[in-house]
Amino acid sequence: MSTMEGLNRFWTAYKEKRLGLIGLGILLFFVTLAIFAPYIAPYDPHEMYKPVEHPNSDHLLGTNDIGQDILSELIYGSRVSLFIAFFVSVVSAIIGTSLGLLSGYFERIGFFLMRIVDAFLAIPRLPLIIVIAAFMPPSIWNLIFIFVLLGWPITTRIIRSEVLSLKNRPYVDAARMLGARDFYILGRHILPNVVPLIIVQLIMEAGYVVLAESGLSFLGLGDPTAKSWGMILHYSFEYPTIFISDLWMWWMLPAGLCITFTILSLTFIGYALEELVNPRLKVVEL
Amino acid sequence: MHQITKIAGYVAIILVVLSFNFFLPRVMPGDPFSFLTGDPSMDMPIVLDEEMRAELLAYYGLDKPLLQQFSDYMLNLLHGNLGWSIYFNAPVSNILIGRLKWTLLLVGTATAIYMVLGIVLGTISAWKRGGKRDVGLLTFILSISSLPSFFLGMLFIILFGIKLELFPIFGAQTPFMRYSTPFGATADIFRHLLLPAATLVIAHIGGVYLLMRNSMLNVVGEDYILTARAKGLAEWYILRKHAMKNALLPITTMIALRVGFMISGTIFVETVFAYPGVGILLYDAVTYRDYPLLQGAFLIITLAIIAANFVADIIYVRLDPRVKHE
Repeated sequence: MSTMEGLNRFWTAYKEKRLGLIGLGILLFFVTLAIFAPYIAPYDPHEMYKPVEHPNSDHLLGTNDIGQDILSELIYGSRVSLFIAFFVSVVSAIIGTSLGLLSGYFERIGFFLMRIVDAFLAIPRLPLIIVIAAFMPPSIWNLIFIFVLLGWPITTRIIRSEVLSLKNRPYVDAARMLGARDFYILGRHILPNVVPLIIVQLIMEAGYVVLAESGLSFLGLGDPTAKSWGMILHYSFEYPTIFISDLWMWWMLPAGLCITFTILSLTFIGYALEELVNPRLKVVEL
Repeated sequence: MHQITKIAGYVAIILVVLSFNFFLPRVMPGDPFSFLTGDPSMDMPIVLDEEMRAELLAYYGLDKPLLQQFSDYMLNLLHGNLGWSIYFNAPVSNILIGRLKWTLLLVGTATAIYMVLGIVLGTISAWKRGGKRDVGLLTFILSISSLPSFFLGMLFIILFGIKLELFPIFGAQTPFMRYSTPFGATADIFRHLLLPAATLVIAHIGGVYLLMRNSMLNVVGEDYILTARAKGLAEWYILRKHAMKNALLPITTMIALRVGFMISGTIFVETVFAYPGVGILLYDAVTYRDYPLLQGAFLIITLAIIAANFVADIIYVRLDPRVKHE
């Protein structure tokens, strides 16, 4: 079975999942916003107008404390959140999968790598991210670095245990008897079988990164020059009258909803994928 | 033998955490005081001339060889000395001890509630899987779990604190309040606890619910359930005596593991509700660039989580002897 063929079959099964399709729809909406942000957003999100304006025909969601158009901030915000989530989950998946394949197939490498993975997984991720982020100058690339640094071990662990069970299957033995080289076996016979697992893990990781990135920004550890949803929440939360006036309705609420729906879409997709990978969870008509 | 490797693993992890905490500020660009000095890249223009800087370095022992610094650091830790908080102007260990009780109260209350809720709802869902109730519950719980706790907390403040004026919106007690009865004090603490605890419950219920549902789905497929049904036992009896007992096994470990997760989850909730626990200290430390406090809070949170994992390990082996031989 080639990787392409596997993906095709995967999609046919995925189409049957209602939650998965809803999730995919929401995600595509935000992806469209992110790609076409300059054409959709009415203003440049850094341009300053009259501060703290209520929603009106010029500014549909009003302006923030320094006069930037909130709607434009939100639309551009999708770029930051999705870019970081996409970049981190893909790079973590590539590193995690390569190391997982190697450490599952070659047991000596595996032993040493797993000790490193153990150490990473034993330290709680969120406090660690906060502490490292606090010591680094805030920038998007530093955030990405921290997330990738702490993201790959989980994938490595999952892929490794799958490889351990796959490498002793008869067809792998057969290929070895026929003189196939290790890397050929890994690429041709083992990798295609772990692709679904990689995708599930990638989606889960993306959801985690959206949450953690907005959380870090909310705590004030995000990139202050980047227009992320978490930063919008951060500034609105710090504004003195945010809760006692109506400002929260167009300043805080939409940013929070954008984060929530992005995570929701990834959660739904992740759950649908997990059902496919682990058929015991299968729910009729979902 | 197995136990010894396990304990050695935990000791190694604690050493990794301690070394990380020691080396992190030292490998970052500049020395720890460039954060306090007029480093052009920082937005805090505190001027510290070379002489004062050398004095400070000597005072904190940073001019000594690295190995000596490390052994001093370890000795200090053994004496419970975590350094001096710049912002609070007090020993970090005293601050942490004062805050710990509030975090434990918050985490304890929330854990008790979402464990019971998650287990009950997960069981209901799995027992009639694919039914209307299961699909509805699953969709609902996956949806509310997607709400970030800091956002949900703000919504609760606006709705229940400001609009309906039902609950206080910050702190753990009303400041300067004198209570005529001890009951009044308890009620006040309870009213302050409710919204942050509810936020934590919603943020964490999804994990337990899904795990219980998965665990039940696995058990429901087992032969002994089929046998029990074939014997004509009542559904409710099978559910309680046969299914739940086995499905709860992985959940018990989960409780200890989740308590660890919760402690880091409280960072956001405590920050939003200004709840005076350990989690908000991380936020305060970040905001005021109080590095000794940041490291102290990180150390406590990390050690608490590692301890919770350790307990989870022990409980699991006790409950399920099969694990020992694997």
